[in-house]
Amino acid sequence: MSMMRREVAWRIFADELNNSSLETSGDDERSPSYIISPLGAKVNRVYAVGVLTEVDNRGTPEEPLWHGRVSDPTGTFFISAGRYQPEAATALSNIEPPKFVTVVGKTSTYRPDDDTMLISIRAELVKEVTEEQRDYWILEAARGLKTRLEAMAEASKMEEVSVRELTALGYDPTLAEGIKKAAEHYQTHGLERYWSMMGDALRYVLPEYEQADTFDRPAEAADEGLTDRVLDVIRELEEETDEDGVSYETVRDAVITREGISMSEFDEIISRLRRHGKLLEPALGQIKSAY
Amino acid sequence: MNEKELAPHIEDINRALKGKVNSEQIEEELQKFRSEYRISLGDAKRAIVKKFGGDPLELYLNPEKKINEIRGDERSLDIKARILSLQDKEIEIEGKPKTIFYGILGDDTGTVPFTLWEAKSLDLEKGDTVHLKNAYANTWNDQPQVNVGSMAGICILDDHEVPPFEREPQQCMVKDIREGMRNLVVTGRILSLEKKSFQTDDGEKDLFSGVLGDESGKIQFSAWHDFRLETQQVIRVTGGYVRSWRGIPQLNFDDSAEVETLDDSEIPSSDVLKDSSNMTISQLARRGGAVDAIVDAVVIDIKTGSGLIFRCPECNRVVQKGACRIHGKVDGEADLRVKGILDDGTGALTMIMTRELTEEVLGYDLDRAKELARDRMDQDIIKDELEELMIAQPMRIRGNVTSDEYGLMLVATEVKFKRIDVEAEARRLLDEVSV
Ligand SMILES: [Zn+2]
Repeated sequence: MSMMRREVAWRIFADELNNSSLETSGDDERSPSYIISPLGAKVNRVYAVGVLTEVDNRGTPEEPLWHGRVSDPTGTFFISAGRYQPEAATALSNIEPPKFVTVVGKTSTYRPDDDTMLISIRAELVKEVTEEQRDYWILEAARGLKTRLEAMAEASKMEEVSVRELTALGYDPTLAEGIKKAAEHYQTHGLERYWSMMGDALRYVLPEYEQADTFDRPAEAADEGLTDRVLDVIRELEEETDEDGVSYETVRDAVITREGISMSEFDEIISRLRRHGKLLEPALGQIKSAY
Repeated sequence: MNEKELAPHIEDINRALKGKVNSEQIEEELQKFRSEYRISLGDAKRAIVKKFGGDPLELYLNPEKKINEIRGDERSLDIKARILSLQDKEIEIEGKPKTIFYGILGDDTGTVPFTLWEAKSLDLEKGDTVHLKNAYANTWNDQPQVNVGSMAGICILDDHEVPPFEREPQQCMVKDIREGMRNLVVTGRILSLEKKSFQTDDGEKDLFSGVLGDESGKIQFSAWHDFRLETQQVIRVTGGYVRSWRGIPQLNFDDSAEVETLDDSEIPSSDVLKDSSNMTISQLARRGGAVDAIVDAVVIDIKTGSGLIFRCPECNRVVQKGACRIHGKVDGEADLRVKGILDDGTGALTMIMTRELTEEVLGYDLDRAKELARDRMDQDIIKDELEELMIAQPMRIRGNVTSDEYGLMLVATEVKFKRIDVEAEARRLLDEVSV
């Protein structure tokens, strides 16, 4: 018997969500589509708590379309609320950043080309919360991350990933399905990165780490020169256009041609620039330098 | 589609062509139809069978399967089975109401849930033995289920065509009890017991119903025979069967069952059992519901119609703008309630909190709530305050969980805010994973 099930709200760190590149559509139009994260989260709805750092109205005063950026210890959630999310839109218009907020909403994707998927959250609920609530969310998100990492490790031991076997090991059937899809789509090596991300996120709530910039991973420093050169490319391209920002693909093609780096290296640099507030996103798929 | 996904279809075509054409050739054809010409899978299969001189109808004829052979990915399925339970349900498809039927099928190898999507002119009843042709199977929560769609055929068979299911009695923990199970062995403590009398054709009969618990959870039961049950007794029921009410599985046993009284030490005391039913929402969803469940979750939404509301004195419905949907303009009676979405990261459900619990969370009573709303001339401030108090706060909620086509619903009997030492928990987790 099929019943209408409300989609679960995933506690997922921005980094894992934003690194997703797989989307599944349901068997028919009535079934929802999901984003499959690199660690098998099968996401249709997200529950996030973080710092609202920017809000702006990209609609008109009469018909506002609010965009916002919410940071967690790993990256940024891009959120939006328009006339179909009136309560969230009102809330966003009334909160002055920076503030701790909780966001619940459905994921939406934008594909500038076949290889790129940009993810934002259409907010159903935005509400100011306390720092304690944010810390509690980090704990919950870390627990979920740990479960997925463990499930991925189990999956990597299997010759062919089996939902049945994963369920028998005690993993939730929904997660097991996601794990199978993730294992088939993503490269399963390099998961250590997520283990250290989880450690960093947990240390973030400990008082002795309060001042540390856990946003930076050690590997980043070495690329500093490259990061600057990417920013230069963006500024150059900006000068050539009258529009507000440059399209993601244009920047990518230019950078990849000039620097000879891989697509994922490029993505890594762009998301780092965003985290550090050096890049803005005037519209989904458009980027521009902050200064 | 990759090779693996195509394999069952190639097998179908192969069978329809009775092996006259080799698989590589069929695969090549299928790929051509699919990739070059973008023909739908069904049409492609028919076309290929025809092309090689076969009868496309053969595609829909299948070797019969026993229920325990159903994998859950059969696109076409023939089975003979008995309808063990049958219920109807109104659903909405593209805005139009539609009646579908669902229930449990059984044969001598096992049971499987099924859904009948098209109401056939055939009058099916529980207990009927049927032959289903060209049904299909899928999985839900990793369990196969059979679907009877518009392409399927049903005919009623003589009862003796399907041998009865006679499995050894099956030992089962309370949390694993599912709709449609039969011949169960369940051991538990009677936590509550009630006797009801009802009229039958043979005169007055007694029904003994209550709640049975073990370490894994609690379940409502109905004993259709006087087994001299008593509260606190530890019993073992052999030969129980399961029926669901609003998604909650219930254990039934009648005079064909055997009930033994066991030593009290076999099952923990009722004090221990009281707090034993912590479940995730995903577990609740797979089970369909539970009696006295405990859920650790956060409230992520509080719905309109929460806070201070007014009810029609005639029918108790919530009054909108001074008017009842049925009784028109009425003098509504004030009440407090919460209708919220509870989410634990594994699933979500609708939670209802009645007046007493809502007052407890607010820290004041209905009269005070009315006063506050009157002072501010705003009925919504109570809902706002509930949002302020409850959203994104870790909570432990207790209550009965039922399900219907709108999903799971929990009526809370206890609501607690959890105190969590995030720092200590984070350190514990860091030690555990050493990263
Ligand atoms: Zn009324």
